[in-house]
Amino acid sequence: MAEALLEAKGVSKIFGGLTAVDRVDMTINKGDIFGIIGPNGAGKTTFFNMCTGFYTISEGFIYLNGKNISNMPCDKIAHLGIARTFQNIKLFNYMSVLDNISIGSHINTKTNMFDAILHTPRYRKDEKYIREQGYEILEKVGLSQYADTMAGNLPYGVQRKVEIARALAVKPQIILLDEPAAGMNPKETDSLMEFIKMLNAEGYTIALIEHDMKFVMNSCNRILVLNFGQKICEGTPDEVKNDEKVKEAYFGKGIIAARGTKSC
Amino acid sequence: MIGTTLTKIKDVYRRFYYIFNLLIIIALMFVPQVFSKSKMTIICTMCGYFIIVGALNVINGYCGQMCFGIAGFYCVGAYVMAILMQTFHVSYWLALIPAGIVAALLGAVVALPALRMKGMFLAMITIGFSEVMRLLALNWTSVTGGAMGIKGIKSPTFFGIKMGGASKYYYIYIVIVLLFLFCTRRVMKSRVGRAWLSIREDEMAAKSLGVEIKKYKIYNFMYGAFWAGIAGALLAPYTRYIDSTYFTLEEGFNVLAMLVIGGQGTLAGPFVGVGVYQLIIETLRPIGVWRFVACALLIIVMMWLRPQGLVGASNSKLAGAGKKAGRKKAKKAESGEV
Amino acid sequence: MTSQYIINQLVNGLCQGFIYALVALGVAVIIGIVGFATFTQGEVVMIGAYTSFYVFTSAGNHLVLGLLASFATTWILGMLIYKVCYEHFLDAPEHISLLCTIGFSMLLKNLATIVFGVEKKPMLDIINNKIYHFGPIQVTKVQLVIMATVLIVCLILVLVFTKTNLGIRLKAVSQNREAAALVGINVKTTAMVGNCIGCAMAGIAGTLIGIYYQSAYATMGSTLSMKAFTSATLGGLTDVPLSALGGVLIGIMENLGIAFTSASYRDIFSFGFLIIMLLFKPNGFAKKRGGSRA
Repeated sequence: MAEALLEAKGVSKIFGGLTAVDRVDMTINKGDIFGIIGPNGAGKTTFFNMCTGFYTISEGFIYLNGKNISNMPCDKIAHLGIARTFQNIKLFNYMSVLDNISIGSHINTKTNMFDAILHTPRYRKDEKYIREQGYEILEKVGLSQYADTMAGNLPYGVQRKVEIARALAVKPQIILLDEPAAGMNPKETDSLMEFIKMLNAEGYTIALIEHDMKFVMNSCNRILVLNFGQKICEGTPDEVKNDEKVKEAYFGKGIIAARGTKSC
Repeated sequence: MIGTTLTKIKDVYRRFYYIFNLLIIIALMFVPQVFSKSKMTIICTMCGYFIIVGALNVINGYCGQMCFGIAGFYCVGAYVMAILMQTFHVSYWLALIPAGIVAALLGAVVALPALRMKGMFLAMITIGFSEVMRLLALNWTSVTGGAMGIKGIKSPTFFGIKMGGASKYYYIYIVIVLLFLFCTRRVMKSRVGRAWLSIREDEMAAKSLGVEIKKYKIYNFMYGAFWAGIAGALLAPYTRYIDSTYFTLEEGFNVLAMLVIGGQGTLAGPFVGVGVYQLIIETLRPIGVWRFVACALLIIVMMWLRPQGLVGASNSKLAGAGKKAGRKKAKKAESGEV
Repeated sequence: MTSQYIINQLVNGLCQGFIYALVALGVAVIIGIVGFATFTQGEVVMIGAYTSFYVFTSAGNHLVLGLLASFATTWILGMLIYKVCYEHFLDAPEHISLLCTIGFSMLLKNLATIVFGVEKKPMLDIINNKIYHFGPIQVTKVQLVIMATVLIVCLILVLVFTKTNLGIRLKAVSQNREAAALVGINVKTTAMVGNCIGCAMAGIAGTLIGIYYQSAYATMGSTLSMKAFTSATLGGLTDVPLSALGGVLIGIMENLGIAFTSASYRDIFSFGFLIIMLLFKPNGFAKKRGGSRA
């Protein structure tokens, strides 16, 4: 059956008097494209940041493959197999696309200072690996023509793909995308959707936060809905679409009540 | 205009890389025959500065950490060398590396608290450290000779040849300078150097990709401190006398000025910086203290016009692209094709 | 080591501390409101001292005149510093304006050596000194005048910050620059005024230091920058009252320290304090960091 990859159990984040995330449970299975949606301020990015080690967890636990990764620092979490992208694309703007991906390969290489100075076999092996990995990933994602372009000079839609490609170099078990379609026009959004589906077909488990309903409904196979920091639904797109609490959250109690009086 | 000329020079250099390097090294060996003794003293001083400004460049330029206290490591290297040679009668050649290592260890010590801080806090703690080193050198009379310093440090002998005096000591300096260049270039072109660059450009992104920020910041400090210590260790037997006045904050700021003017984040930057600075100091000697005013003005002008320095890394945060510039780029890119 | 000696050192430390406090709160105001660190504070103090020196030699030993002159001169200097080192770099990475202030401080120091010469300028007997006794405590008139001046200046500053419109604008800019701009505050002018206030504090402190140590010289500012910064760390660099408290603490600590060790160790105490503060409490004891840049 479905194998749980990333799980959250009763996770909360409390900032002083404000409970941003309130005892949320979540299960992402291997091979999912998992969507996290909810109105603005629902706590999606806060939750994400806890899963990736950018925020400390106030209550609850997070498990990766059954291993407790709560409160681990984010570089350690990356080593364990979670890679992420950021809402406002954080590429190394002044480096080429290939160099960006090389940084992604950092985790998978071992060269230290002495290896570098003496050009030991380990250095040579690592450099070869990094170069080959870089070209391979670019080939896979269809961005080979941009290999030597400075990342900051690329169109926004391509930048997002490069950021994802860089995360792939980490060879993660799961990639978390924070509002990947933010700031994109419909054409770019469609292209991104195909991109994500293609990655999933290659075997990557993907979780993403999004506002764009069409995007989420058409690409994710399971969705978590948050509102005011609480989980209000977790299931397939159809289940979520028909859930009363979800409708309430997005449309307000008024419209639900109005439907009851059959005026529309 | 500077940008395109630089790229052209770089292209030519790259094509004939090995030949150029060989020719340069051979030419460098003949320098003492060409220049007079007084010019050689200037050249030796410059070589010393090449190393220490280069070391500062690795910390500030390549990794983006704000270290203003390089004089502290310089001081430690010099004193350890002098003490090893005078008090423990260790040979010059054996004392050199330990002096660098002690400085490197201190670099790690300074780096540890610095891990939690950025920007001006880091700058301040490095300055504090530098001053503590100087004050220790000034006051710990039993070990460092206090205000009297350490004198009579012997010049080294190399297979029987006494290497005293600028014309002979130059060879030691130039070999170490070339060694520094060699090592730094190789480190920067490796995973370690790329990690440092990623920390400079976007620490959060680097962290999210698994770059162990703390470890690499410490390595970075240690590397810079090591070479600054070596520069100090080379200084002591050259000047044959050291005291705490050689290692004031002012000296540290001079080194910083050379780096800032010449260029941060490139291998050539420190060399250009030392060259320009020494040029100003020497040629403007007739106008006395005004030459330091000229240098100070140059720093300000450089920050206004070209923050990365004359030959510094234009493709980096060092060139001053702040939040506004980032947004401009995004807007430009949005209009492009997917 | 008599108790009299220790009490004397305490009084010295208090007076010295008051002066540090003034420079420190200048730093706190600048870093809090403008948002950038400054390496120029010590040199501004020096300019203040020289200004009052020239006033005293040309117009006689009128304390208030000297204070006003140094206030005005360093205010204008503050405007210059703002234009050169800060305004251009409001959106740039922090290190650039930092380096600019270093360059500017070098500029001031060397220009001062040229214009004013290398010798110390004597500032003798500006105030007719007398010694007062309060029980075992011995205070000189100079020390009393200095402490009183600092207190008055601080009081005026507090009034400006809490009771005037300018003060509210300064606080707004220090807390959130973008929000302040959105409600119609001219951030650039306000930041400049903040910088000028900080520099003027340093100027007044310069006059007081000149009077206390009876001389002014071009390099007097060097360690002062560091000590001001050290004092300000107690308040996380932005909290003004705590920075002033830090200054007093440093003054007392230094003077007690050298009472038990020797005068040449003076600076080690303040640097030691700096390192310990930055190691264990880099945000000082302030409850919240006043300056959160967007």
